[in-house]
Amino acid sequence: MSGTRFVNERMVGSSVLPEEAIPLVEGEARFLNDISFAGMFHVAFLRSQHAHARLARIDTSRARALPGVVTVLTGADLLGKVEPFTSMPNRFSGGQSTQHWLAVEKVRFCGEAICTVVAESRALAEDAIELIEVDYDPLPVVTNARDGERDGSPLVHDTCPNNYLIRRDYQSGDVDAAFANAHLVVKRRFQLGRKQALCMEGRGCVAAWRDGSFKLSMWMSHQLPYVVRHYLAKHLGLSETDIRVVAPQTGGGFGQKASIYPEEFVCAFLALQLRRPVKWVEDRLENMVASTHAREHDIEVALALDAEGHILALQSDIWTDVGAYSTYLWSAGMEPLQTGGLMPGPYQVKALRYTTRGVATNKTPVGPYRAVGRPSASASLELLLDQAAAELGIDPVEIRRRNIIPQSAMPFRNGNNLVHDHVGYMPCLDMALAKSGYPVLRKEQQAMLAKGKLRGIGVACFAELTGLGTSTAVGPGTLLQPGRDAVTLRLETSGKLTIAAALPSQGQRIATAMRQVAADELGIRLDDIACLTNDTGMAPYGFGTFASRTAVFGSGAVIQAAGELRRRILAVAAHIMQTPSEELMLADSVVETVDRTRSLPLRQLAEHSFFSAKDIPSEINQGFEVTAFYDPKHGSFAAGAHVVVVDVDEETGHVEIVRYVAAEDVGRIINPAVVEGQIIGGIAQGVGEALYEQLIYDENGQPRTVTLADYLVPSALEVPHIELHHANTPSGALGGFKGCGEGSIIGALAGISCAVADALRQRGGDIFHFPATPERVLRGLGVALDDAA
Amino acid sequence: MPEQQTITLTVNGRVHTKDVATRTSLADFLRDQLHLTGTHLGCEHGVCGACTVTVDGRSARACLMLAVQADGREVVTIEGLKDPAGVWHPVQKAFFENFAIQCGFCTPGFFATAIELLGQNPDPTEAEIREYLSGNICRCSGYQAIVEAVRAAAAAMQDHQRG
Ligand code: FES
Ligand code: FES
Repeated sequence: MSGTRFVNERMVGSSVLPEEAIPLVEGEARFLNDISFAGMFHVAFLRSQHAHARLARIDTSRARALPGVVTVLTGADLLGKVEPFTSMPNRFSGGQSTQHWLAVEKVRFCGEAICTVVAESRALAEDAIELIEVDYDPLPVVTNARDGERDGSPLVHDTCPNNYLIRRDYQSGDVDAAFANAHLVVKRRFQLGRKQALCMEGRGCVAAWRDGSFKLSMWMSHQLPYVVRHYLAKHLGLSETDIRVVAPQTGGGFGQKASIYPEEFVCAFLALQLRRPVKWVEDRLENMVASTHAREHDIEVALALDAEGHILALQSDIWTDVGAYSTYLWSAGMEPLQTGGLMPGPYQVKALRYTTRGVATNKTPVGPYRAVGRPSASASLELLLDQAAAELGIDPVEIRRRNIIPQSAMPFRNGNNLVHDHVGYMPCLDMALAKSGYPVLRKEQQAMLAKGKLRGIGVACFAELTGLGTSTAVGPGTLLQPGRDAVTLRLETSGKLTIAAALPSQGQRIATAMRQVAADELGIRLDDIACLTNDTGMAPYGFGTFASRTAVFGSGAVIQAAGELRRRILAVAAHIMQTPSEELMLADSVVETVDRTRSLPLRQLAEHSFFSAKDIPSEINQGFEVTAFYDPKHGSFAAGAHVVVVDVDEETGHVEIVRYVAAEDVGRIINPAVVEGQIIGGIAQGVGEALYEQLIYDENGQPRTVTLADYLVPSALEVPHIELHHANTPSGALGGFKGCGEGSIIGALAGISCAVADALRQRGGDIFHFPATPERVLRGLGVALDDAA
Repeated sequence: MPEQQTITLTVNGRVHTKDVATRTSLADFLRDQLHLTGTHLGCEHGVCGACTVTVDGRSARACLMLAVQADGREVVTIEGLKDPAGVWHPVQKAFFENFAIQCGFCTPGFFATAIELLGQNPDPTEAEIREYLSGNICRCSGYQAIVEAVRAAAAAMQDHQRG
């Protein structure tokens, strides 16, 4: 599609400084909490103190009587007026949950919203919350998946026997025969705790009545404005055309802002009812219990191998504690299905079997978060490969080499039915080994051991499916299959280009990336290109930002639209310049004849075509606004290999990462510095996942980690310097792009887990439960501890 | 303590005299009464560092400090970092040029902490930078670009001093 006539193909691949960050540098960016309207009311929520209870009595009279309080709503006030959230039906077994926006009759997790107060200020609304009296009749609680699944367990929802919100049994190939005939069978258990996306900015919204021609305008800290608009219309009984949704400057998303939650929808209802703007901003304590959690897996995994260490079959049993409700619109299937379905990663697995369950518990619902399911899946298999290598007496690297899907075998359909193509697993591994000096690392490990010091090395390879189109579901088996997004390119009468898309950024510099692609495709100077990504009032239709898709969709759609826009521009230029369009080129925002003797600046051309259009036939002057949809169909595999070195203090159980080398295949890179930020940021979250972060509940379902003092987010001291290298193979998508937002966290959890286990193995120990807290490490070394951990 | 109090303080070089509720935090005062929304609240319990501002030349958590405690003092927020000619502080420039800002919610706090560090230690090592910034959480960047930015700012400020 890119013709030879376009000479300035240079923006893609360079670390263009992100103009969109300037308001952030100057403290003038407008985040959700920075938006206000005259006459705006403030909203606060009363949240359940109990994990599971019947609501015997709610008395709001004292709250209502407080001066400055506008209204107080309970669940009963919404019944019949709005449609509650019912998880999408899924193809597999498991019941459905119905989530009222404000609890009706029962509460099912600590933090569930029961009442809402609208007042003249947030402080007043919070004061009023204190005055509401709720009598609870506590019910027996379910606090983990394995217990919740048992016959006779208390039920979180009467509609879900054994508390299954989802269960899937999958098999491909002859798994039984493979295990029966195997030279070696290895098994282990892998548990990963519950964690928080922990966006530095929580959720929030301003809902405004009658802003412009819209009945309802929502400014909402969210990743999917059009999806929100669709569901607001559906649940409030409005037309989509009545609603505008804008995602303002957003302080992190990571998937947590890709679900639909009750609070924002309550605010929309209030704005419509009160005919006034209302604002709700989640505080950190709310965020820790009311915004989706992530992970919490318990996995039993087994591998059948031949004498050379080739994988014959992989079998896993997976329990995910998905919390009290099936997260709205994604369903409870996300973590369980991806953990099971994507476990083979970059390895050839001909026979695969898994049983995976999403079990409801009386805890905060689990929703999408960076690399859903894949980190646990990958860590389970990588740890098991190390165990197998040890038993076979071969190096951990060697067993990986023998099982990785080589490029010569591509396209390769794996046991999970996914097709691998245009991806370099082996090149990533080779690069990570070369850059880390792997053989030397092993020698150093032995030298340390001789001095009585425990060092571990982890090598992890991963596959990461990005930019999923209509042919591959985001969650294998879930019904929601987003796969088509649009971009509008508009040449303004000033000759500047506007790109509009509904692909909001939470810091990924999506606007900069799309500007770079458009600059190259059109021959328009970067400074002449603006990009809007966050407003359904202006952007063409799109699903939004999640699942490492935005660069692929946005760029693909830009490329498609640019082809048509360029054709239209050159057609008008040909008429004005009296030259065949084949003899014209567009570069540096100027149309020129190929012999460079005559030129027409885009500004002049655009002005002419709009303001003095009389002399241009209308079949030539078709308007410089083009919308194109892009669907990458199958998606593109990205890849990586991480080598991690840790030192373990045998006295304290403390783990320190002393070296971190990552080699990544993220396809053709648009902006290297931005990509590196994404990859390193993902690794940092993986450091937290592997070593520190866990949301803890007691046996009554009470959360014990509700502040940042209890929940340990890695600081600059815990995140090591990352040595990052690129081993890129262009994808088959338009432009050769792949997504890069999530993959690295997979390698981080797997690589660090393997490194810690490798260290413990020097002393005959092992570790099965992550994060690898000091207590768990000491236990893994055989130290007897009290039962606290 | 009375519920309202009048305070006079300097913010970004301008003197303000305001009535404040005594329970109002400095962060809420800056954001709601002075409309300086560049100061962000990430936790409101003193851990994340997003709200960090400069008070009398030292970094302070604006969520933990009451507005009345700032009476008579000099406060600098992110909005006040540019020089009178509108030129960015070297730390602002370095963060921008080193891609040390992703979502940018943590950025104002990092600016205040980094400026304090460079005031005390004009040529910090990577380890010193990491140690000093360890009270500020950034969830997006993995800190590497931030560390590089602080080093770049240190170099730029030293060059500037050498003239
Ligand atoms: S908001 Fe002040 S430290 Fe987090
Ligand atoms: S840039 Fe998002 S928290 Fe630091």
